[in-house]
Amino acid sequence: MRSDFTDFLRAVRGPLGAIALTMALGFLLVASISDEPVLAYRELLFANFDSLSNFALFLNRATPLVLIAVGITFAFRAGVFNVGGEGQLFAGAIATTVFSIVFSGLPAIVLFPLAIAAGILGGALLGWIPGVLKVRLGVDEVVVTFMLNTIALLFTSYLVNQVIRDTTAYGAVSWMVPEKIWLPTIPGIPGATSGFIIAAVLSLASWVVLFRTKWGAEVRAAGTNLRYAEAVGIAAGGRVIWAMLIAGGFAGLAGALYVLGIGHRFEQNFSPEYGLVALTCALLARIHPAAALFTSLYYAMMLNGAAYMQISTEVPRSLVDLLTGLLVLLMTARFTLRRRSGQTSGAF
Amino acid sequence: MTTDENILVLKGIAKRFGDKVALEHVDLQVRRGEVHVLCGENGAGKSTLMNILVGIHSPDGGQIILDGKGVTIADPLIASALGIGMVHQHFTLVPSMSVAENLFLGRHIRRYGIFSDRRAMNERARELIDNYKFALDPEARVSTLSVGQRQRVEILKALAFEAKLLILDEPTAVLTPPEVDELLKVIASLRERGRTVVFITHKLREVKAVSDRVTVLRQGRSISTHITTDVSEEDIARDMVGRDVFLTGREGQPERSFGGAVLELDNVTITNSAGRLILDSIDLEVRAGEVLGIAGVDGNGQTELAEAIAGLMPIQAGSIRLAGDDITADTVAERQAAGLGFVPEDRLDRGLSSDMSIAENMAATNYERYGVLRKGYVDRGRLNAFTEDGIKRFDIRGAKPKIPVGTLSGGNMQKVVLAREFARDPKVLLISQPTRGLDIGASEFVYSQVLSAADKGNGVLLISSELSEIFALSDRIAVIYSGRIMQVLERNEADEETVGILMNGGKRQVA
Repeated sequence: MRSDFTDFLRAVRGPLGAIALTMALGFLLVASISDEPVLAYRELLFANFDSLSNFALFLNRATPLVLIAVGITFAFRAGVFNVGGEGQLFAGAIATTVFSIVFSGLPAIVLFPLAIAAGILGGALLGWIPGVLKVRLGVDEVVVTFMLNTIALLFTSYLVNQVIRDTTAYGAVSWMVPEKIWLPTIPGIPGATSGFIIAAVLSLASWVVLFRTKWGAEVRAAGTNLRYAEAVGIAAGGRVIWAMLIAGGFAGLAGALYVLGIGHRFEQNFSPEYGLVALTCALLARIHPAAALFTSLYYAMMLNGAAYMQISTEVPRSLVDLLTGLLVLLMTARFTLRRRSGQTSGAF
Repeated sequence: MTTDENILVLKGIAKRFGDKVALEHVDLQVRRGEVHVLCGENGAGKSTLMNILVGIHSPDGGQIILDGKGVTIADPLIASALGIGMVHQHFTLVPSMSVAENLFLGRHIRRYGIFSDRRAMNERARELIDNYKFALDPEARVSTLSVGQRQRVEILKALAFEAKLLILDEPTAVLTPPEVDELLKVIASLRERGRTVVFITHKLREVKAVSDRVTVLRQGRSISTHITTDVSEEDIARDMVGRDVFLTGREGQPERSFGGAVLELDNVTITNSAGRLILDSIDLEVRAGEVLGIAGVDGNGQTELAEAIAGLMPIQAGSIRLAGDDITADTVAERQAAGLGFVPEDRLDRGLSSDMSIAENMAATNYERYGVLRKGYVDRGRLNAFTEDGIKRFDIRGAKPKIPVGTLSGGNMQKVVLAREFARDPKVLLISQPTRGLDIGASEFVYSQVLSAADKGNGVLLISSELSEIFALSDRIAVIYSGRIMQVLERNEADEETVGILMNGGKRQVA
């Protein structure tokens, strides 16, 4: 048990160090362009916790990130470089919206689960396509997932502008989904979607599935060495496709929960590139579903904090993009250092 | 020119990396014009010692005397200026360039001081090639060459530097048996020309075949130096391992008796996408308690034969039966459940997932059998217990269940594969190239495991391109050539010459 804990410490030491260094370097930057660097940093880091409503917005921001990032860990562990989180998110959101509007007459107890299922299936479909193409035909998944992002974005844009547009509202938004199937808020935190609880639970459940079941071991075997997986009798192709269904399903669920819990309708620009940010979260978490929960929370804090910072001081919110870049840089730099020292010790 | 008979003398060389001692005390004397073999098990310090000689590492203690003068070799450039050339185990050629361009890499012959003079380089390369009688085309791209040819380019590269002392680091590890023979001829011709060669290997046959003298390293110390003709392979092996070793297998043992057929191949045929026959109606039978050895030069269908039996490659015709049941249409997992154990030829390719832990690699096919799963979840305690047991029984050194299997040495990785496959006590064990890249101690262990599997009444199909291994372990020997089984011989009627002829496709001569 104690060795489990030291393993854990060793695993988080690197990312935490990189985060700390990034924040320190960021502070120097802010200090060089702002008269009130301390205030700017306070807003960036702590404004999220100033009020319950800020905290609710923070959780709402984190929810899709957590779900997509956890889904991506399944894909990556199966060896699929899935960059299609954004498209899968949109597919899930539009599927839930369309289903809820079309079948709005159904009783809530029936409509609610079906609407969620529609979202999951919508995302899963977009994950299934690159998965099956990769396994059966060897098509590169990066290209396919990336292209599907564009297809999903443009197709949903068409739907929301031409088919299900709320003609009484300003902007490209759909009709509202029926209020009877809106997700409740978290008790005690007005405005915070209970979708976050679902996301947090699923992140921990995914940890168990990936690392404590035979199925999870088989997915990782297929991802680390497909030919080995085949040789020990794993239906490796099937595992890869299932991992992509799950990755897509998670992103689709993120879309469904956004529509039912936060937006209550499909908005064309509801996503500040959640799919891409979640990819960073998953990589920062070293492709571990439980760690992805925390990196997603960190990113949500930074995204929202940047807005508060820009309001209170003259520091532009694009600082966050810069910090993100720095963080990625420092994470990779650490990897290289480790590899080089490994080489010297491997010389004899 | 000195008249000193030793071209190189090392006295008390020591080297440590951190708190790990790589070399403790090495003395070595290499005479001018001899072929001197340096042998020792993996990790004995051979490569570290040579890296010191070519300036990659600097020693912590001791003296290097070259041509009677003490020298300090601070970097590889100094080493080559001193006339020390090294051919590394892993090649350092540029595949997209020609042989000549590789030979003159970094020192192109220039015209007007700027332009590469391709013609001059080709001519100079051809002179070199002709001089040493290497069969090479100076204008051929390195990517089109076979491994053996690439190695000759490496050797030429060292010779083009006017190397007085040529070091070859385990040059045969990557070669097929005919290529090894070629290389040995090359080394013999270098000796005739008065070059001094230091040859690193852990294969005893090569020691005897190639060298004038042999120095054995063990655990960072030089143990002994002998004139090769004065020592036996057994003596060298004992010095390497530090105890008596038995790589003799079943030779000299009484006749064994076998049960019924446990693996039957009937007319198994594979054609590739171009329509070429890869396996040509293979008929084979392995009986209970028997080791059937498949001898052959690499690339004659052995890989496909193993994959077909394991269920990884579809066959176009024929059938495969395991313990009487037809498994031709079964999946890999079904075949394993029916009692097939499979040790693939390349442990890093099909044998293991090097990034995953030793425990997960060892448990991969054993989750249900050993109760590692509880209510669908992996019971970490039982997984560890299962792995610790395997580590102990197979003496896997430096292993803990949680560390990635890729951090182990080749021999210990192979033991992980064996531990996994033997854990199911397979009725038929299909084992390919089981000791490739392994040192003597590890090979001895693998041999004993294969023999004990057969003694328990299981059938073993052994595929190997090492003839000595085939002869040591097999009860019958089948020779494969160009996708066909040439002949199946009883062990007592087979000799190396007969099998060697069959391996090259020749029909057996009737006297």
